[in-house]
Amino acid sequence: MATSKPAQTSGTPFVNEVRLNARQWTAVLTILVAVTLLTPPLWKKAEQFETGADYRIPYSLSKDYWLYERRLQQVAATNIIVLGDSVVWGEYVRLNGTLSHFLNEQAGQPGKFMNAGVNGLFPLALEGLVRYYGTPLNHRKVILHCNVLWMTSPKADLSTTKEERFNHVDLVPQFAPRIPCYKADLNQRLGAIVERHFIFSQWATHLQSTYFGQKSLVSWTLEEDGNDPPLHPNVYKNPFEQITLNVPSEPADDPERGSSSPRHKPWSTTGEGSTRFEWVELNRSLQWAAFQRLVKLLQLRGNDVLILLGPFNEHIMAEENHPAFRRTRDGIRAWLMKNQVTCLVPEPLPSQLYADASHPLTEGYQLLANRIHTDALFQRWMNGR
Amino acid sequence: MLFHTWPFLLFMAVVLPVFFALRKTRLWLPWLTASSYFFYGWWNPYYLILVVYSTLLDFGLVALMDHCPREGQKVDVLARLTRLRFGDRVLKLAFLSAALTAAGILVIAATGPTTLRPTMSALGTLVLLMALGALFSSRKIWLLISLVNNLALLLFFKYARFVVENLNELFNWLHIGLKLSDPSVLMPLGSEYLLPVGISFFTFQSLSYTIDFYFGNVERERNLLRFSTFVCFFPQLMAGPIERAKHLLPQYRQFPPIRLQNFTDGASLFLVGLFKKLALANYLSFYVERVYENPKAYGAPALILATVAFGWQIFFDFSGYTDMARGIAKVMGFELMLNFNNPYLATGLGEFWSRWHISLSTWFRDYVYIPLGGNKQGTLKMYRNLFLTFFISGIWHGAAWTFVIWGTLHAIGVMITRELEGSEIYRTRVPKLAKQLGVFAFVSFTWIFFRAGSLSDALMIVNRIFTAGWSDPQIPALMLGLVAMVWVYQFLYESRFRSLLQTGAARVGAAVFMVLYLCLCSSGGGAFIYFQF
Repeated sequence: MATSKPAQTSGTPFVNEVRLNARQWTAVLTILVAVTLLTPPLWKKAEQFETGADYRIPYSLSKDYWLYERRLQQVAATNIIVLGDSVVWGEYVRLNGTLSHFLNEQAGQPGKFMNAGVNGLFPLALEGLVRYYGTPLNHRKVILHCNVLWMTSPKADLSTTKEERFNHVDLVPQFAPRIPCYKADLNQRLGAIVERHFIFSQWATHLQSTYFGQKSLVSWTLEEDGNDPPLHPNVYKNPFEQITLNVPSEPADDPERGSSSPRHKPWSTTGEGSTRFEWVELNRSLQWAAFQRLVKLLQLRGNDVLILLGPFNEHIMAEENHPAFRRTRDGIRAWLMKNQVTCLVPEPLPSQLYADASHPLTEGYQLLANRIHTDALFQRWMNGR
Repeated sequence: MLFHTWPFLLFMAVVLPVFFALRKTRLWLPWLTASSYFFYGWWNPYYLILVVYSTLLDFGLVALMDHCPREGQKVDVLARLTRLRFGDRVLKLAFLSAALTAAGILVIAATGPTTLRPTMSALGTLVLLMALGALFSSRKIWLLISLVNNLALLLFFKYARFVVENLNELFNWLHIGLKLSDPSVLMPLGSEYLLPVGISFFTFQSLSYTIDFYFGNVERERNLLRFSTFVCFFPQLMAGPIERAKHLLPQYRQFPPIRLQNFTDGASLFLVGLFKKLALANYLSFYVERVYENPKAYGAPALILATVAFGWQIFFDFSGYTDMARGIAKVMGFELMLNFNNPYLATGLGEFWSRWHISLSTWFRDYVYIPLGGNKQGTLKMYRNLFLTFFISGIWHGAAWTFVIWGTLHAIGVMITRELEGSEIYRTRVPKLAKQLGVFAFVSFTWIFFRAGSLSDALMIVNRIFTAGWSDPQIPALMLGLVAMVWVYQFLYESRFRSLLQTGAARVGAAVFMVLYLCLCSSGGGAFIYFQF
């Protein structure tokens, strides 16, 4: 039986017709450049992205950095941006229980303070977030929260050599400075670097995060329902129907957050703690080094920065752990003063207003906002320039 | 370093410009060799020892073979032994050095560390054989050494554990109080017993050179760098195509002419390969893995669809790799042979094998089937030869009984379709599409044995396909749609409607679709299936 002969015109046999000449490749490249350049901005116009005064990036979209940047672009020049990890974002509280909400309340101007916190961040990732996606922040007033939780142990500091899994790996430095517990292969590291600089790729991640449950399209079609044996609810669904052109907001009745949530409770019934943190010396801390770089970066970009140091839950610590904590806190304050950065160090909140080592409960945020707002230094900073 | 990863892009970003910059110097070839070794060493630097060893040995053996007369010539062995009277200085030197080296190695084997003993004994025997080759000026001995050496490497790294396990089972069954040790104990200095990636490919390629030279089908290559590049050229080192010296070696004689078409053709091949691997093979693998990992949990439709999906997965995976390899080589000015030619359009099993893994099929045809007698000694012997060739081909794919059965089934299939094709009714009355679907169904059936984790799993899957109930297979519609799209494309390509695919708009549209699909929908990728062979 004769086999069909492959096309062979110049020594290279082809068994399909996807053989493009130079003109056709030029056409392909032109179309692709147009698509990659035009799609993200056009998408912004087409897609509805509703944000209110207390808006924060929903937990499920924490890794949608394209959306984060888009959110920053919406903020008016007079607004003050509150930047930080889950303490700023409000891990245990709802939209109306966050620090920025109560600061707005104190200021009597809804939307004056914008919650730019992201759940799961830490200084090494926050630095990356601001560096690669934070240009709309330039020349703004920024409140940057400093959470000493990230220096409470070598593990939290990411300075252990044993491999650790952590969030926002695409934001951390991929090669230098080296993070010893980050063991991603070269491909993953290079991929992370490429995505930071290729807006179309960020937009593709946005599609996955927003419409396909943070999965690629193919993984979405194979998603399991969690039963045993599992069923696959998306196998026959039309993926295009998922793209509703409407960015989902945070669920109003999130059972994980808010005063009615079982998680929303004081960290201890007695209010006395015995935790002994293995504080990492500041001069060895990766997280603190990243925070320092972040402050310098913000200054370089013309930001008027105020650092909110704490308030860390000091009640959780054993007595003998306090000197090390104070050394860390004072070291941070000293560096900030030396670098002429406005720094606010609020008094610790009452023990029952903390949910854990660093996250206040709703009432804790309210009290904290009040203390911040009534601080003369803060008023001078807010009304300055 | 896989072709579809960022490190490879970085590798090419360094290798290509330097390669082109060196075009007017003699350094382009050393650069190509060094790049290829770097590429291979990236997996595991220890693998380099094997590929370099294999290269040096075959290069040297052919050089020595070249010093031996083609026709049988009487040699005064006694004079050579007692007075070292060799007609040829090279052979004399080879004899002396081999004899002395063999003695030294065997002394080390006897007195040295126990972990080195097996390796040194094997090496000592090999070098002793070399001394005999020089002593008798025998081309046959040199060829034998090359065969033994290459096949021993393959046998040791790929099959030793399988053989030992089966022998131990047999001893146990026969109540013989003997238990062979795991082959890992033979590794020198306690090094790890791992299957070196691509060993089946580079040993076959290197071996083909010595066999071809022995039979006078290829000239001796005098440049070691050129030969090294032939063995380890990075685009095809891991999973072929298994090139022949006659085709590839001459391409390294001078810097290849580079035209614009090298880039356009190379990019076309690479894009298609990338799409096959990332968009199709990897997607299908998720479904196949899910079903094949727990076949008991699935009904007949899911098992059938997973088997068919695996047939397409392995095609997309392997032909995707080959397309990319050919594309990279093309950009550098080299031509690698076609390895897949739309095999699922074959109308007979024989034709299937002339479209599937062509470089391996032709290798077995030229170095196993024909030397066994081919079809020149009557029907019965032809079928015996076919059977043996497919049996060996099955074994080549892996050390497991499932591969043996897979090869055997194909042998039977080829015999049956050969007989059918001999009948007038089959040739003229059976529609082409029915033949194509029949071949596809048969090949898909054999993939069960290729893919299943064990023989019992394979038999259970076959059993369940016919006995289990019908339930929703839960295969994504998108997956089915993509495979159907490719199959229809292939049918169109080999039909009178091919001109529809030849328009500029169709080509540009296909390329744009593939790139956008890869950017938006693919889910990253694992290693290629054939790397394990």
